[in-house]
Amino acid sequence: MEKDQVFMGEGLNRAAAAQAGWNSCSFGMEMETDELNCVGSCFLNPKWHNSMDQSDPFESALSSMVCSPAASNAGSTNFPASGDNTMMTDLIGKLGNICNTGDISPQSFIKPPNNNNNCSSNTSCYTSPLDSPPKLNLSMMGGNHILKHPSLVPVSADPGFAERAARFSCFNGLNAQLGVTEAEFVQLTRVSTNQSIMVTGSQVHVPDSNKNALQNGNSCSHKRNSRLSRCSSPENGDSKDESSISEKIPGVGSSIKAQNDANARKRKSMPRGKAKETPSPAAADAKIAEENDESTAKRSKQQNDSAKAENKESPKSPEPPKDYIHVRARRGQATDSHSLAERVRREKISERMKFLQDLVPGCNKVTGKALMLDEIINYVQSLQRQVEFLSMKLATVNPRMNANTEALLSKDMFRSRGSLPHSHYPMDSSVLAFGLRYQPQQGLPMNNGISNDTQIQFSMNPANAALHKTQGLQLPPVDGITDANPQIGSFWDDDLESIVQMGFGQNQPQSWQNCFLQIHSIANSYRDS
Amino acid sequence: MNNPHHLNPTSLKSRFTTRFLRALTKIRAQKPISSSSPTEIFRRYRRIKVAADKSMAYSVRSRRIWSRAMLWKLRSRSYRRQDPCSGRRSGKTNQAIMKKSSNGNITRRREDGVGFVEEADELRQLVPGGETMNLCNLLDETAHYIKCLTTQVQVMKKIADFYSF
Repeated sequence: MEKDQVFMGEGLNRAAAAQAGWNSCSFGMEMETDELNCVGSCFLNPKWHNSMDQSDPFESALSSMVCSPAASNAGSTNFPASGDNTMMTDLIGKLGNICNTGDISPQSFIKPPNNNNNCSSNTSCYTSPLDSPPKLNLSMMGGNHILKHPSLVPVSADPGFAERAARFSCFNGLNAQLGVTEAEFVQLTRVSTNQSIMVTGSQVHVPDSNKNALQNGNSCSHKRNSRLSRCSSPENGDSKDESSISEKIPGVGSSIKAQNDANARKRKSMPRGKAKETPSPAAADAKIAEENDESTAKRSKQQNDSAKAENKESPKSPEPPKDYIHVRARRGQATDSHSLAERVRREKISERMKFLQDLVPGCNKVTGKALMLDEIINYVQSLQRQVEFLSMKLATVNPRMNANTEALLSKDMFRSRGSLPHSHYPMDSSVLAFGLRYQPQQGLPMNNGISNDTQIQFSMNPANAALHKTQGLQLPPVDGITDANPQIGSFWDDDLESIVQMGFGQNQPQSWQNCFLQIHSIANSYRDS
Repeated sequence: MNNPHHLNPTSLKSRFTTRFLRALTKIRAQKPISSSSPTEIFRRYRRIKVAADKSMAYSVRSRRIWSRAMLWKLRSRSYRRQDPCSGRRSGKTNQAIMKKSSNGNITRRREDGVGFVEEADELRQLVPGGETMNLCNLLDETAHYIKCLTTQVQVMKKIADFYSF
């Protein structure tokens, strides 16, 4: 008893020494239950007495060990009754076996097999509070080392330790340091039932243990998941911050906590974590650990990069679409089905707007959906007018049509397919600006003046003059449409002049112009009526 | 395009091109272009425009809402032209259907919760059959419609350039 007390005192002293590293842990805020409160409060509050209430000696022992500020208090007040000491000594012996073996069942701490890596992960998890590095360095393989720190032994003896350990795994510093993945977390909970917390300064072992534990953990994780999922349902109702339509998110983190204790808990890191994706149920536990990590990100030296990257990738996006879209409400948003469905709709709409943005040239600069819609409307209108203009052009063209020309036409058309779109848009817009009253947002009264008259008799020169006059006016709005500013002038000069002068085939230019303008005015009036 | 003369026979562009050229030849065969009176040319212009729309709609078939709406419009118009009585009947039933659905939308003032009602309405007027779509579908249809329009413009431009030599 005294010996144990001495050891306990030693452990507490070490904890006090390691307190500096422990301060970043803020997990305690999340825990509301009695047991958790003591743990939490011990980090936040040097004076804690709740742990006295615990019937479980080991937990209080652990709490006392962990709560470095309260070292003195803990040592004096929380040490378990004498009856527990026998258990402690038993555990010390068993720890040696356990550490060297690989497998641990949650309920029985007597079961040997857990591999060294698990031991290491477990022990290393609890390293930090008591970590004054070199002294506490237990080797993973060493059950022997456990004996050096018998004060830690009683902690693990409790069959329900898994739950507490799961809770304590919310000790973010621990997890953060170790980059605890889901597998590790699972291993933690399992191992903790069977062994004492072996204090190790073995940060060095952690990377190796991480990998191996991950492999091992994955195989065993399904058991844990089933346990977790059972408890998930009461938890989901509690969440104010999140709701989940998805069945793939069993609320693992909450269920882990639910295992431990009552449902009502503050989950500080949980909402943040919940908002993250859960790519798979297996990774969900890792996610929980990761959430805890990230809430105290200062300690994350040895994160498991892949899991972390995965979880941080898109913290607030819905899951990848499956048969139906799994949507998770973000933090602080309403969670009823209406708003969620509306959010899905809104996201669909924004997705389509992005696609349209790619389709419509010159839409990249425009920000805001309303402006983009205006751009799209303008573009559609311009395209429709181009079709009209071209059909009119075709109507006036003299058809030298025979079988050969049709074949030639097809070939010619597809030959230069690649060169078309952008170059033609400015050209067309310039032509259209002349003929078809294309009005970008700035509008153009000059153009209106041209085309409103029903009987327009232009001779060649006045028409050209008009064209040149409008050319300067046309350029600014056309600039707004495309970036091909320097091309427009040349297009205007070359193409339009050629069209105007050559006419279409054999039509005389003057008559063509007259025709065209008259026709167009008629067409406009027809269309507008 | 690596092989300029080897065109994909099933692409939208080729489908439209073949149809449109056929229609063009038909139109040109009907009346000689010697007369350059505005009305003639205007009539021909209208016919060509309708042919362009029709060939585009037929190229897309019924896969899209806008193409279906356009086809319906064209058919009803042609029915009305050919036989006023029958056109009225069929037009009425069809129009009634369209009106019912569109009125439902319009009177409900489609507040989609995103606040683009005015622009969306304007877009609905542009895209054929747009009155019956919610915003989500409208954007989809607009994207496809834009794609088809650009194809149409390209093809017609090529044809016009070819003939304007």
